Amino acid sequence: MPVVKVLTEGIGEADLRDIKVYRERGGYKQLARAFKEMKPADVQALSDKSGLRGRGGAGFPTGKKWSFLPADVRPRYLVCNCDEAEPGTFKDRMLLEETPHLVLEGILLGAYAIESHHAFIYIRGEFQRGYEIFMEALAQARKAGFVGKNLFGSGFDLDVTVHRGAGAYICGEETALLNSLEGKRGEPRLKPPFPAVQGLYSKPTVVNNVETLAYLVPILERGPEWFAAAGTERSKGYKVVSISGHVQKPGNYEVPLGTPVRELIEIAGGLRPGRKLMAVQPGGGSSACIFEEQLDLPYDYESLQKAGTMLGSGAIVVMDDTTDFVRAAFNLVRFFAHESCGQCTPCREGGYWLERVLHRFLENRGLKSDIEMLARVSHEITGINLCPLGDSIEPFLASVLKRFPEQFEARVARETVRA
Amino acid sequence: MSDFDALRERLKKQCDEIIAQYEQPRSALLPLVHLFQQHEGYASSEALHAVAEMLGLSQAVVESTVSFYTLFYRKPVGKYMLQVCRGLACTLNGAEDIMAYFRERLGISHLQTTADGLFSYEEVECLAACDRATCMQVNLNFVYDLTPQMIDDMLAAMRTRTYAVPPLAQTRAPDRSWSERQDFEVSMGGKSAGAQDQPEPNNPGGLDRDGIIMLDRILSDEARFKGRTNERLANVEPALAQVIEE
Repeated sequence: MPVVKVLTEGIGEADLRDIKVYRERGGYKQLARAFKEMKPADVQALSDKSGLRGRGGAGFPTGKKWSFLPADVRPRYLVCNCDEAEPGTFKDRMLLEETPHLVLEGILLGAYAIESHHAFIYIRGEFQRGYEIFMEALAQARKAGFVGKNLFGSGFDLDVTVHRGAGAYICGEETALLNSLEGKRGEPRLKPPFPAVQGLYSKPTVVNNVETLAYLVPILERGPEWFAAAGTERSKGYKVVSISGHVQKPGNYEVPLGTPVRELIEIAGGLRPGRKLMAVQPGGGSSACIFEEQLDLPYDYESLQKAGTMLGSGAIVVMDDTTDFVRAAFNLVRFFAHESCGQCTPCREGGYWLERVLHRFLENRGLKSDIEMLARVSHEITGINLCPLGDSIEPFLASVLKRFPEQFEARVARETVRA
Repeated sequence: MSDFDALRERLKKQCDEIIAQYEQPRSALLPLVHLFQQHEGYASSEALHAVAEMLGLSQAVVESTVSFYTLFYRKPVGKYMLQVCRGLACTLNGAEDIMAYFRERLGISHLQTTADGLFSYEEVECLAACDRATCMQVNLNFVYDLTPQMIDDMLAAMRTRTYAVPPLAQTRAPDRSWSERQDFEVSMGGKSAGAQDQPEPNNPGGLDRDGIIMLDRILSDEARFKGRTNERLANVEPALAQVIEE
């Protein structure tokens, strides 16, 4: 079994929320080393060399994202995205609650690497406990001299502000997050300009996921070669994968990228006895399903993309033969309809009506002509919105419509409206 | 000095500290509303007015921003906010049965508050605890692996004020619902009179109802915007009252 403990090291064994315990286990050593012995550019180079890619969903190479910052514009901001809300994903919440100092050390390293003197962490509003735990960790770190003025005598000032969201999935999209952080409605911005050029307060800004920043710590500790040695050619390193649904031991499992999906399901205890696997959603609520014959796919960015789906936030939802796929489709479409910010008509109206049509199927009042219409409308609202939310409606719906048409046909009452 | 003015005075230092954390004051909007809601149980119009003043914004801007976020309650809620996860992973593990059980035990549905003002109930999107499905939050504290027995025990403990999670502040008695949001399941029953026999998708009833509920709220909000807007609303009130009655 390829389960590893890198970020998850010590979780469940020691109280990593206590700065003393965290430091005894080597915590904040990399931070001290970076400030004392390395230039920001050195930290950037290490992350670049490791091949680390964004763990929030897009999988964009982290070093490359940082390199888009214009050289001459100051101040710069680092924002840690902890607005985890993608259906099926629960890794960032675990990291925040269980190992807040690692998250903080990652943020501090990231901020140093891009020469930002003010970093933010945007925590999902529902994560009240995580917020309290992180606030306590921040207070401990401030007291120990790891946050504030002239860190480690380097002359580098760095402050961290914790910002709580208030219930909006869309704020996980980086420009919506920045609007929310500016005290506005969490509506995504038109891009370009990208945040690296005009982000928070129109200044150059990098938004990185919790897990991405946390990986900076072990990368500094063990070297970029160690990280790059795991995983595949283009998907390097490790990933915390959230596995849930119809498995016997749901949970977060840290594995090298490229581990076959079949193996991941086994790691999570496999299916319940006597059950048959019907579908797997491999990358959160926004991803298309893969099916039994595809289980040997390596779990990495490229393989999943080639198979017409994505790795996304690394949330695997397993569905067995007890699953009602009409209900599952309704569930996810309702989610996106509910969370649409409403700026773009295709997303707002498309989600709204798809939800209603699917509800008709749930009540066994579907129209035969609607099956084709569901596929067409969900496709037509894709790719023409300001942000990827509207594009997230199609993948799951289209994949189950294609795979399980009989489940939809069984709920048809009439051919068309007029028949 | 009103209760609210006293609260505002008491929180002044804390508010100033929050604002000072940011390069631009408007960034403090969400944290300030969180703070007032924590003390009042909901984001009152007085609180929004105060936040607008502190940040140099119009009240409309604050109202618009706050209305975007589902965790801000613009009307009073119950002492225990019960938010049950309706995400996919929970649904695969029986969330619909759990939700039906809650509704039956509480005698209310999604987005409603019990008549005694003790419980508010909402079915919410994925709470990021899929490994412990089915899950919920009580006043934003997680409860995992729900069973009917746990629900009974929980509600009983809340009724006798012995539940581990403290109740929310409640400065005013809640109405039947705190939300103008009309989720599909709720709006289904709300077709306007002329649309009762209309099949879907021609369901103007749902839309009419949303609009009427919004107007209803504006009119019934005792601390609504002051000045000319208020007068204008008062002038058109008879006409609106008639619409609502119909």
